[in-house]
Amino acid sequence: MSNVEKILSDPVGETATLAPKPKITAEGAGIRFGSIVAVEDFTTVIREREFVSIIGPSGCGKSTLLYAIAGFLKTTSGVLKVDGKPIVKPGPDRGIVFQEFVLFPWRTVLRNITLGPEIAGLPRAEAEERARKWIRLTGLGGFENAYPATLSGGMKQRVAIARALTCEPDILLLDEPFGALDVQTKNYVMKDLQDLWIAASKTILMVTHSVQEATLMADRVLILGARPSRIVADVRIDLPHPRDPLDQRLGRYRQEVTEILSAEVDRAMKGERGQ
Amino acid sequence: MPIGFQILDRALRVIRFLLPILGLLLVWELAVRTGLAQAGILPAPSTILARAVELLGLTGERAVLFGHILASLRRALVAFALAVAVGVPLGFLLGLSEEAQLWVSPILSLMLPLPAVAWTPILLVLFGPGDLTIVIVCFLGAVFPVLYSTMQGVRACGRQPVWVVRSMGGSGLDVLRRVLIPSSLPALITGFKLGMAHSWRTLVAAEMLAALTSGLGYMIFAARSYMDVSTMFVGVVCLAAIGMLIEHVLFGTLEHVTIHRWYARDAQTGGRQ
Repeated sequence: MSNVEKILSDPVGETATLAPKPKITAEGAGIRFGSIVAVEDFTTVIREREFVSIIGPSGCGKSTLLYAIAGFLKTTSGVLKVDGKPIVKPGPDRGIVFQEFVLFPWRTVLRNITLGPEIAGLPRAEAEERARKWIRLTGLGGFENAYPATLSGGMKQRVAIARALTCEPDILLLDEPFGALDVQTKNYVMKDLQDLWIAASKTILMVTHSVQEATLMADRVLILGARPSRIVADVRIDLPHPRDPLDQRLGRYRQEVTEILSAEVDRAMKGERGQ
Repeated sequence: MPIGFQILDRALRVIRFLLPILGLLLVWELAVRTGLAQAGILPAPSTILARAVELLGLTGERAVLFGHILASLRRALVAFALAVAVGVPLGFLLGLSEEAQLWVSPILSLMLPLPAVAWTPILLVLFGPGDLTIVIVCFLGAVFPVLYSTMQGVRACGRQPVWVVRSMGGSGLDVLRRVLIPSSLPALITGFKLGMAHSWRTLVAAEMLAALTSGLGYMIFAARSYMDVSTMFVGVVCLAAIGMLIEHVLFGTLEHVTIHRWYARDAQTGGRQ
């Protein structure tokens, strides 16, 4: 019996009939580049409309894993599935947001956001209609005709998020989405993203190295170990959304995740020093 | 800024640009007039201007300058167009394929520093003097900078912008059209500038060696037989002025409507800051 079947037939799964369907399933997924093993034996189930955060020491292969789920990289062992079908290539069902925004400087804000519908072959008017909704929800109104070079980091990341959401993906993949933002901006964008998640009911998978981000936003935090990485802990944050960063209970979750993560970082550092 | 001010601002900029050139001409004129320089070797700007007017065809039978300019421009532009037609697609191929790059880049690094004029005698043996030889030499001068810049531009794009389009279900054509071409455009324009400049520079030498009856290079070289220094200077000035106009007006405008707008450089600075 595979790990996934074990998880699916878990006795606690009395609620499983009520629980949302599995959206992303990983069965012993591994990725290696030549002789370097980036990810090893990654096994988990992410359900529909779940917000899951992957956290781990730097260089543990968490972004690699996200890229594999996006379909940019191939697994070298095991299987990654979306809706029960193995992932073979990227697709509009999975939207991605990168740390460095990756906007197209030759397109205005509006044209960046309409890129997905344009590629899907929608007429321009319809593409713009779709984009307007997310422009409004991400607070970008009035900036439609600005070029990305004139925007602040926080605005750029909103454009990237709106661009991904305009493709109406089922799954939103976030690759350290707040890594390039200053603290104040980050708090705003995080708040917005939580509201968007509640409004849009998407499955979100977010890679981060910040315990604070992970615990504040996610339903579940998967902690990856040092390379070759595998899941060392799967912490469920049992608090309603939206959450208050000053909540005492959140503080306890932060502490729990930090402790597990610190032990992993220590192990990684020792490994690097060859002890 | 009101439109009137913009025009005034622009005019002041042009004047500011021309001022040092006018200063140089004035010093030159004075040097000849006071006998500091020998007029037989360095004719005064006024003498050159008079000769230019004569050659431009306002006074009769020596009106040949336009013909020479057109012949030169045609050759340089045909060579440049060929260089773009070959260099850009090849640059994309080499920028995208590691394998192709491994094979071709040693040859490229050998060809890039080679002055194209060196091929002229060989081509003369092959094709004889005339347009074909000149255009091939100019092409060889222009193609490598175009190719090299294109390749650099494509390689600088990185994988994430490509992934963005892929994750929207974009095809290979979408990636080319919506990511690779626009993202490498700044590098492409640089390549075009360099390519055209190389084509124009190579042209003069090639025309001196291989032109039969026309071209600025031919005009300069032919004037040598009559010790006609003024005509030589007219040719040199034309080469410089036309080269400058191509770079500033043609490519300056191209940059202005593309990368300067995208990267929000101040639209008032006129493209060459």
